[in-house]
Amino acid sequence: MHLLEVENLTKRFGGLTAVNEVSFHVDEGELVGIMGPNGAGKTTLFNLISGFLRPTSGTVKFKGENITGLAPHKIVNKGIARTFQIVRPFRHLPVIANVMVSLKSPRGARKIEWLKTDERKALDLLEDVGLSELMLEPAENVGHGDLKRLEMARALATEPDLLMLDEPFGGLNPLETDFLTKSILRMHLDESSRGIVIVEHKLYALMKIVERVIVLHQGEKIAEGKPEEIAKNKKVIEVYMGKEM
Amino acid sequence: MVATYVKRAYSSFAAHVFDVPPRLLALLLFILLLFCPLVKPGQSIQLILRDTFFFAMLAVSWDLLVGRTGQISLGHALFFGIGAYGTALLYQYLALPPWITIPIAILIGISVAPLIGLPCLRVKGPYLALVTMALPLILSAVIKYGPITHITGGEMGIGPLPPLIPTELFQRIGFSYRESLPLVELANYYLALVLLFVFSVVLYKIANSKTGMIFVSILDDELASKACGINVTRYKLMAFTISGLFATMTGAFYAHLVTIVNPWFLSLMHISFPTIIRTFLGGIGTIYGPLVGTHIYFILDRYVLEKMVQLPFLTYTQWTYTRLLIFAAIVIVLIIKWPRGIARFVTDKLQDLEEARDLDERGKWIWKTYKKKKME
Repeated sequence: MHLLEVENLTKRFGGLTAVNEVSFHVDEGELVGIMGPNGAGKTTLFNLISGFLRPTSGTVKFKGENITGLAPHKIVNKGIARTFQIVRPFRHLPVIANVMVSLKSPRGARKIEWLKTDERKALDLLEDVGLSELMLEPAENVGHGDLKRLEMARALATEPDLLMLDEPFGGLNPLETDFLTKSILRMHLDESSRGIVIVEHKLYALMKIVERVIVLHQGEKIAEGKPEEIAKNKKVIEVYMGKEM
Repeated sequence: MVATYVKRAYSSFAAHVFDVPPRLLALLLFILLLFCPLVKPGQSIQLILRDTFFFAMLAVSWDLLVGRTGQISLGHALFFGIGAYGTALLYQYLALPPWITIPIAILIGISVAPLIGLPCLRVKGPYLALVTMALPLILSAVIKYGPITHITGGEMGIGPLPPLIPTELFQRIGFSYRESLPLVELANYYLALVLLFVFSVVLYKIANSKTGMIFVSILDDELASKACGINVTRYKLMAFTISGLFATMTGAFYAHLVTIVNPWFLSLMHISFPTIIRTFLGGIGTIYGPLVGTHIYFILDRYVLEKMVQLPFLTYTQWTYTRLLIFAAIVIVLIIKWPRGIARFVTDKLQDLEEARDLDERGKWIWKTYKKKKME
């Protein structure tokens, strides 16, 4: 049984087909990348899986359970957490409270570690992503790179079985990209059963860390395979570089 | 033994109240109000302040819903009216004393709030504001509806209701009827003050609890709170119900103080909109802001604008609405100048001073150590 199974997922906005009959799966402990040029339907696919949009047709199965069309907060509590492409912090709240909101959700509040208070847990999560020094700063004063990491800490606070990162490297400088890459990899090694899906533009950063890549183009899946194979795939090169004259 | 406990209590009090500017400000305000009737036992200021306390409660409860959760409601008069009419109708038809009718009216408020909230909170932003604005209008139209005015009292209202603190209470101790009247007013004043204190502390606690944190997260970004696994609808309903509950309580108590209930309790012009103006005056989203804002509003209203009634070119009714216009203009200027309100402005300044002092001390310390090193 796969962790996440997407079958023939389709989303139409009026005449435009944003996602067309896409099927793929993610196994436990797998790091999967989804790539594609602008407007390929990557974010729409994310929104469909996490419940922010209702698919026109097709099903999403998580741990064998059909979760198509469930409310977003219910899906999060089933174990799928996501981050946003454009950071969405709670601007009035301090950084640590941003994480504690997640800890107040039913899944985040599960008492696995009895001796830990919410504050302690939140601080640990912030330490993992390297934000503990900014914990009392209101989120509106925090820079973009740190907010990206805050998004990740917030998603991790619900202890997801599947983590979906929507362009985690967007707008980051090489140094920050490197740091984030490392923390994603470390997280991947620590939690051996957690699946991770990354949508990304920056192929260089993406190809280094993922085990399998799915390529979308105009809403359709055009290729799937190991990074080395994808890099040689003719169709993919065509999509990214254009046809040979 | 006792001394250590007192010391510990004092230090905890100092840490929790003295070091937090808004709390210190609120405490000073309450102390001032506590001694107000003793300094000047005049009737009119006491009555005005008593009314102020009740409208401050209403503004604080509105602030929890709108300032913290971001669900704009223009129909807060609805709950105020439900509380007042609930207790009045119960008195009229069952002849129950106020100490029973008020809790029942509050229960009605609690059960009505989610029923109204569930359909209303499906819409957002300006639409929610419009829907909620319609609600008290509908209720007052029902109350004024011809065929049932003998039940609801119509325009004339229901009254007189029994006062919360009857004069007999004092007459029984030995005061004459004439002597007990000012005592009743004094008792009412302190009752209102205690209620205001309890209301604002409870609402402040709720607003700064972890539930309040989730309210603010909904205000900031609803989608992101959903992505955090928060059942947004549930928390919105919770805020709506808490806010409605406190507004209902205010209405029920106020009805027994003025001893008459009429459609005025549901009017947008006299209840809903002034509440909003008062909250903005003090600073929205702060809980202590509306407290201060309401007092400023009443001082301006009763001691400055009231005097202008003598102007020849306006009738009294025209003047009541012009007053609201003037306040609206003041608020617009304020929002441009100090968007966080007057109370927020003061506390921000206090915080800045504190930080400046800290920096100053640190600077002095650095200078000292620098000089020491130079000497060596």
